[in-house]
Parts: sequence; structure tokens; C-alpha cells
Amino acid sequence: MKRLAFILIGLLAVLLLLATGCTAPALPAPGEEVGTCVICHSDKDLLKETASPVEEEISEETSGEG
Amino acid sequence: MEVWQKVFLKDADFVQSTHGKVGCVICHGGDSRAEDKDISHVGLVADPSEANCNTCHQDIAHVNETSIHTTLSGFKSVLEARGGNLEEGSPLATAFENHCQSCHTSCGQCHVSRPDELGGGLVSSHEFRQTPSTQYNCVACHGARVGAEYLGENEGIPGDIHWTLATMTCTDCHGQELHGSGQRMAIRYQNPDSIKCDDCHEDIWTDVTSNPQHEQHLGDLSCQVCHSLAYKNCYGCHVSIDEEGIPCRTSAPSEMHFEIGHNPLRSSERPFEYVVLRHVPSCLGTCDYYGDDLLPDFNELPTWKYATPHNIQLHTPQNESCNSCHGNEDIFLTEDDVSEDEKEANSEVIVKDVPTPQ
Repeated sequence: MKRLAFILIGLLAVLLLLATGCTAPALPAPGEEVGTCVICHSDKDLLKETASPVEEEISEETSGEG
Repeated sequence: MEVWQKVFLKDADFVQSTHGKVGCVICHGGDSRAEDKDISHVGLVADPSEANCNTCHQDIAHVNETSIHTTLSGFKSVLEARGGNLEEGSPLATAFENHCQSCHTSCGQCHVSRPDELGGGLVSSHEFRQTPSTQYNCVACHGARVGAEYLGENEGIPGDIHWTLATMTCTDCHGQELHGSGQRMAIRYQNPDSIKCDDCHEDIWTDVTSNPQHEQHLGDLSCQVCHSLAYKNCYGCHVSIDEEGIPCRTSAPSEMHFEIGHNPLRSSERPFEYVVLRHVPSCLGTCDYYGDDLLPDFNELPTWKYATPHNIQLHTPQNESCNSCHGNEDIFLTEDDVSEDEKEANSEVIVKDVPTPQ
């Protein structure tokens, strides 16, 4: 009897969580999110404005051909 | 290439392609719903090649796992043959990690963007190019020697006839071999799919009567012995870490030479007695910064290596006449051409008796 009660309580808890939307947000379906990325990455001015400078790690002591 | 250019999509056609329809986040991660740049790029994977390409391109990706482009087994096999210890944490492994590992390439660094070694950057929007760009991919890494030879960038030496007459690109000759053979190879010439001149020029075997030099020398000389010109040789490479902690290297000025020597890779596939030899950058003290005597068996391999220069011509100074080669010490690698500390390493390839004049 006790075991049955535990199972019922557990099931109720799960149902409650589902009903209140307490689940992981669904990932966008393949392809759905393309637009968002492409909007920024095809905007030349925006990219120029927001680009973070990357310091290239080339030693000044390097010389000759590799 | 400016930072913004590296990730700029010049046109959005890519979105309609097979790869485009997969979506960005599936391969690159990040959060496409965030409007803030920093948040949207959290967890971003700039080069997702290794984890994703094999989902669809399993066959090629599987073979490619063994390619020299992926494993750098060409470097490793030489270091190990010279007695180097590449076990994790060893001084030589650290040197390898600091100076050699960056030559590794991935699927994307050939088919989508420029190699990381050159700072990356999309080649043509986000287009997946089945054929890598000669300029932005192949020559980007292989530019100092092979690329410059092929394109005729060495002063006074014309470009390869396959380029100047036929505008052939790298992939016109080098195809699936670039993905390896499926088996780990010590050197690229071990790949059975490695391109050879007679794969196209079959007639040199059947039409020998019209060319007495072919009749005389086919099988004894590699094609380059008669058909290539002077090429770049590098010397004295030393690797270290500078005061700011950045890996650096120095090498002696390169020199243009043409040297015929004995074949260090003689096999049924490459049975030639004489081949063209190129001096590799490494020397006895290349890794001295990382420890003493890290290559205790340095002399096990020659520093003048089997070479296939990419400046092929129909007519060359050495194929003008028999005695352009016979008796001409200048074009053979003799004792005088080899530094004292490398004589033992090259003893098998040095020509001691130059063929006598005819």
C-alpha cells in the first residue's frame, strides 16, 4: 500500500512539472535558427562594428622559412 | 584578412544548400536565440569538423583519420626514426606540440575556410568546396617550397609546365590521396594512391623508341632528375620559446639547388637508382632548446630527402645532352655539398662516383 502511494505521488509530481512547463526548452529544429545567425554574419557593417580584435601570436624572433 | 572578413557571409545562398539546411547551431553550437553577441557565442565551436563531418561523410572521414594531414605522422615518423621520444610529457613531445602540431588540418580547413595556421577565415562565404582552393588552402600551407615552384615565384625559374601551359591546379593531380589510404603512413610516398607522373603519361613506357633518353633511363631515374629545375632547400631550423612565451623558430637562408643523389626510398613502386634530393630544414640541433640529445639517432635518416620538385619542364639544362649529366659533378650531391656534421646521415644518398662522360 505504502509503495503504491509513493508511485502515485511520484507520478503526480512529474505531471505537475510538465503542466507548469518545467521542462528543458526545446532546441530549434535543424535549419530553423539559420536566419538569426545569417542576419548578423551577412551584415558587413555590423560585423566590422562588433569584431573583436584577435592578436596573432607570431613571435618577432621567428625568421626564415618553415 | 580582417577579423570581420573571416566570418562574413557575402551571400546567403549557403542557407539553401544541403549543409545550410542543417543549421548553424547543430554544428557550431552557441545560442541562436540570444540577441547579444557574447551570449549567442557562448560554447561556440569555430571549427566543428572532427565531431560533425563523419555523421554524413563517414567513409571519407574514417579514411581521413589516418591521413598525414590529420595525424602529422610524417613528422612523427621522422622524429621517431631519429630516436626521438614522443611520449606525452617528454621534452620532444612538448616541442612537437609547440611547433609542429599547428600544421594539422581538419576537414573544414580544406573545404570551408583557410587553415588555422594562416589565421583561418571563410574562403567563399560558407560554401563547402569539394575541391579546395589552390590559393587559399593548398598553397596557403605548402607555399614556401612546392607552391612557389609550381607558380614560378622563384626568381629566374619558370613555373611548372602543368601550370603555365595547362593551368592545372593541385587537385587535378592530387585527389583522394590527400585523405590518406586508411592506414597510418610514415611518409606520403607510401600511399598507394599517391600520384605518379606515368598515371597520366603512360606513353613514356610504350613509346620509348621516339625518345632514346627514355629508352636508356626509364626506371633508373625519377622523372624529376631530367625534368625539374633548381628548387628551394632549407637549413638550420631551430625552435624555441621567446621571452614572451611565444613559440618561435629561426632558420638559415634558403638556397636554390638542384642535386641528384641516390634514392633513399627505393622500392618496387619507386625503383630509381637516382632521384632529386631536397635538404629539409631540420638539423642536429633543431630541438636543443628543449633538451640535450633529443634525437640520439639523428644519423638514421638523411637530411637530403627524396623530393619531387614541382617545377617540371619538358626541356631542362640536364636533359640537353648525355654529358649534361654524365661527368657533371655540379648537379650531383657529392661529399663537398654536405656539411661535415651531416655526412654520416647522408652517406647512403651521396654520389661518390659520378657517372662517367659518354
